[in-house]
Amino acid sequence: MSINVQKRGLAGLIENGGLALAFALFIIFLLAPAFFVFKGSVENISISLVASGGGLTLDNYAGLIRDGYFRYVFNSLYICIAATSLACLISLFAAYGLSRFRFPGRGFVFGAIMGGQFFPWIILVNPLFIFFARAGLINSHLGLILCYTAFITPFTIYLLVGYLTTIPKSLDEAALVDGASRIQVIFLVILPVMWPGLVAAATFGFLQSWSEYLLALALITENELKTIPLGLSQYFGDVQINWGAVMAGSVVATVPTLLLFLPLQKKLVAGLTAGAVK
Amino acid sequence: MTLSPMARDRISAFWMLLPTFLLLFAFYLYPTLYNLELSFTDITLLQLRQGGKNVGFANYVEFLQSSSFLDIAINTVFWLTFVSVSMMLILGLLMALLLNSQFLRRIRMTTVARLILLVPWATPPVVAVIAWRWLFDPKHGAINEFLMWTGLISDPITFLADLATVWPAINTIIIWNSTPLVAVALLAALQTIPEEQIEAAEIDGATRWQQFRFVVLPYLMPTLSILGLMSVIWTFNNFVYVWLATGAGPGTYTNVLATEIYMRAFIDMRIGYSSAIGVVMAVVMAIFGSLYFRFFGLMNMQEKLG
Repeated sequence: MSINVQKRGLAGLIENGGLALAFALFIIFLLAPAFFVFKGSVENISISLVASGGGLTLDNYAGLIRDGYFRYVFNSLYICIAATSLACLISLFAAYGLSRFRFPGRGFVFGAIMGGQFFPWIILVNPLFIFFARAGLINSHLGLILCYTAFITPFTIYLLVGYLTTIPKSLDEAALVDGASRIQVIFLVILPVMWPGLVAAATFGFLQSWSEYLLALALITENELKTIPLGLSQYFGDVQINWGAVMAGSVVATVPTLLLFLPLQKKLVAGLTAGAVK
Repeated sequence: MTLSPMARDRISAFWMLLPTFLLLFAFYLYPTLYNLELSFTDITLLQLRQGGKNVGFANYVEFLQSSSFLDIAINTVFWLTFVSVSMMLILGLLMALLLNSQFLRRIRMTTVARLILLVPWATPPVVAVIAWRWLFDPKHGAINEFLMWTGLISDPITFLADLATVWPAINTIIIWNSTPLVAVALLAALQTIPEEQIEAAEIDGATRWQQFRFVVLPYLMPTLSILGLMSVIWTFNNFVYVWLATGAGPGTYTNVLATEIYMRAFIDMRIGYSSAIGVVMAVVMAIFGSLYFRFFGLMNMQEKLG
């Protein structure tokens, strides 16, 4: 009897030890890259080891300002906010139409929108490049804004349809009986109650466009017009990598996404795997 | 003339969906068809305005018969997609089980662990590549420093230039960046399993493995299958990790379909040829897509629309 208990105690010890080790590896694997980037961004990674006195410095961040890195930050903010707003407006109407009306081909339309989420954009780069070249939209923020709007709309519609189905139709019907138009219903009745869903969709859209690299690479060549991912990647173009600048620039690029992610993560997962988790 | 309420509804729905239709048409459908058209021409970047001559299936024949085709196919399907996705699912499942364990709850670390998962997840792919290139760096990188300190190696390894390590290194970057989503989604699924079911299995004398295999895993299957297919599609089409980590190098050793499309179009300037590769890629993805919709899509959509 007592041997059994002892055995269980030993097994428990091994199990807890194993789990503690797994948790330690989990922390190291997931955090080490971010930690070393942050560390690198506040250190002097100079070529001559003699000159660097060590210790903390903000030189790398100051260097970013000198290099005009904040031009990229501004471009990214402006493009992503414009694309997100446009996508949310379009999605609001589409999601309302899909969740409130019955019409032939509704399932097909929803399927096409779902499919859009998985569309390989690498295939669209050639045709879009040609359209944009002919329309004079290479090196144009407008072109990129339109692309990003198209890029994020399928998922924002999907999220908003999910959210709208939780809002009872009786709410609309009461307003319609009172003589409101559909547009009034959307903006005065639905919008106030679906703020949380819209915020989630907007945050998602912003994050998607904030980290987009491929389309920006193909459509923007002028330095003044580049977005953050492009600006960051060009530090790699030279033979000598300016590690200090890359690290500081990476921190600047990631802090906003990290802050936006905090309140959003649960909603995103629910949206991504809706229907599966049941 | 007054319209019936049903007809009025249809007209309203049409107007509300019109902007979406225009967007889907202009940025998805029409470019896809135009890409197909381009793939049968010899159009180059230098003569965009005039367009190219029709060359029939020449681009397809050239690509499928080229000496690099097999390497690119193996790189894309096996190294880029299969290795990354299977590791993402396995590690994601292990992480979810860890986060759901009594052990983490006892030491009150569940919330901390969730926050830690957010860090790689919120990191833009470009930054993820930068972070790992920094860790892998032969001169300053922490990994080489650590390995030399332990005495396992005496000379630094150039992880992203050495043929033996370059694919595992790229896989590591992708896995680091993409596994948290898998882990959080599986954790959500784990939390829907009723405690009583596991307790019942335990009372019946099921071992830990049997509990996992016959009670937990069936609950996770729907989520796992969807995550698997989503990850396959996203990874297969991904351009940024390989391009920024190695530029398809050393040489063309890590070249995949996505980087091949980009290089043929924007370095060789052969848009027509590059578009044909895009069509090949789209066909492969369409097969995956139809499987997805056949097995999960319809069920999902019906639940969603009610």
